[in-house]
Amino acid sequence: MRQSLSRVAVPALSLLAGAVIWEIVGRNTSPAFMVPFSATVAKLAELVRNGEFMAALAQSLGLFVSGFSIAVVTAVPLGVLFARVRLLRIGLESYVTMLYATPMAALIPFILSLFGFDFGAKVLVVFLFAFFPILYNTVEGARSVRPELIEVARSFRSSEWGIWRDVLIPHTLPFALTGLRQGIGRGLVGMVTAEFFLAASGIGRLIIVSERDFDTAGVLASVLLITLLGVLLMSIGRALENRYAAWRGLDR
Amino acid sequence: MTAIAEPRPRGVILGLSEGAVAKLITGLTILAVWEVGCRLFAPAYVARPIGILLAIPDTVSSAKFLDAAWSTLWAVVRGLVLALVLGTAVGLAMGRKPVVERALRYYVNGLYAMPMVAVLPLVTLWFGYTNAARMATIVFAAFFAIAINAADGARAVPPEYIEVARSFRARGINIWLGIAVPASLPYLLAGVRLAAGRALIGCIVAEFFISLEGLGFYILFNSRTFHHNEALVAVLVLAAFGVGVEMLINWVTRRFLPWYRRGEGGE
Repeated sequence: MRQSLSRVAVPALSLLAGAVIWEIVGRNTSPAFMVPFSATVAKLAELVRNGEFMAALAQSLGLFVSGFSIAVVTAVPLGVLFARVRLLRIGLESYVTMLYATPMAALIPFILSLFGFDFGAKVLVVFLFAFFPILYNTVEGARSVRPELIEVARSFRSSEWGIWRDVLIPHTLPFALTGLRQGIGRGLVGMVTAEFFLAASGIGRLIIVSERDFDTAGVLASVLLITLLGVLLMSIGRALENRYAAWRGLDR
Repeated sequence: MTAIAEPRPRGVILGLSEGAVAKLITGLTILAVWEVGCRLFAPAYVARPIGILLAIPDTVSSAKFLDAAWSTLWAVVRGLVLALVLGTAVGLAMGRKPVVERALRYYVNGLYAMPMVAVLPLVTLWFGYTNAARMATIVFAAFFAIAINAADGARAVPPEYIEVARSFRARGINIWLGIAVPASLPYLLAGVRLAAGRALIGCIVAEFFISLEGLGFYILFNSRTFHHNEALVAVLVLAAFGVGVEMLINWVTRRFLPWYRRGEGGE
């Protein structure tokens, strides 16, 4: 009983303390630096009421979903193909690792001068941010597929599709989902970065415009919104990952 | 398509292993496609492999480039060290003490899930358009990845180890330094790897945003003035740093944590 009480009470108290500290700090500093929690929440409510938030959220999500889904439908099949064609994997693996470790943000100026700053260019940014974590992790899964399993499947005259369905995909899927979760995180960074540096749009635009107007409440409210969005998308990713994580240990 | 089905003997071609030959051939193919594709379809200022190669000597010997590279990489290293110290302390406390975990869970997970570049405008409000703002972004980007992994590591310490230590009357400090820290090291290293990537992105985006001297700004400036080859040399340095951290961590894991085998593929 005491245990379960602390499970609920401690986080609640801690969140309350955070809000109180925020309120006190906000009241005692210049509004250009920090505004109280209550003012932020009021601003949040106002932006929700006049529809600005919904519009910004829809714009940002549209961008994220476009780039991210292209990354998923290209990276996952490519990664599974690596499991099937060993030479392809060996040839490309180290380059995938290299691009995975390269900060894609550094490519934004090139994208700006080559592809402009409209929707397509922004989708490309989100895609580049999300693609390599997904591919990298799927390849990791591809490496874990034992050649003997494919041999056995072939000995039993399994069709090519059968090998994919029963061996390759089940083995690589858990890893691909880890990649998907990482890709969600990186894709969100790509989304905000693209909205900052290419044509300003969505939540990114809301943040920038508020900052230029020294509207600290607006900045904090937008950051709060994007944090909620991040938490929501990440927990979807984590739930998917955990759902299929059990497959990972399969016959290893 | 029997590439995998046949257990083939490891081929050796011209003294190189089969894998090295495959890597070399794919690498050269990628570069050739890039070069030819750009010559045929892209405007002249677009970076091409030969152009980049020719730009390397002048770029890496220019003081401007060296200053920029030093400024960025040194800031990232300092920020990572700071985040490592703070993140490990907070993470281990969260992993070992349920009260701390419950109190900080929502903050750490929430701020970890938030795309860190979103705080840039806020950080510039607080620190101005300065080096301090860049440092704050780096630490912010790196801290939560390290804290979360350190907490996972501390939680993964097998309870039997602690029980055995207790039965032998080990003191608290010995349990911490002798068991909890080493047992969570692999997780911590995974956290550092993640954090290094995030710190690098945070640093570059901060330089774009604040127009601070550094590789990010060097890339921005040179690509705007159509010096794409020079700008790509800077990208190569950043990529090399990223790969370097990756290799360093793999080496540390193999050298100092040979008992840790997770994630090793069955080649």
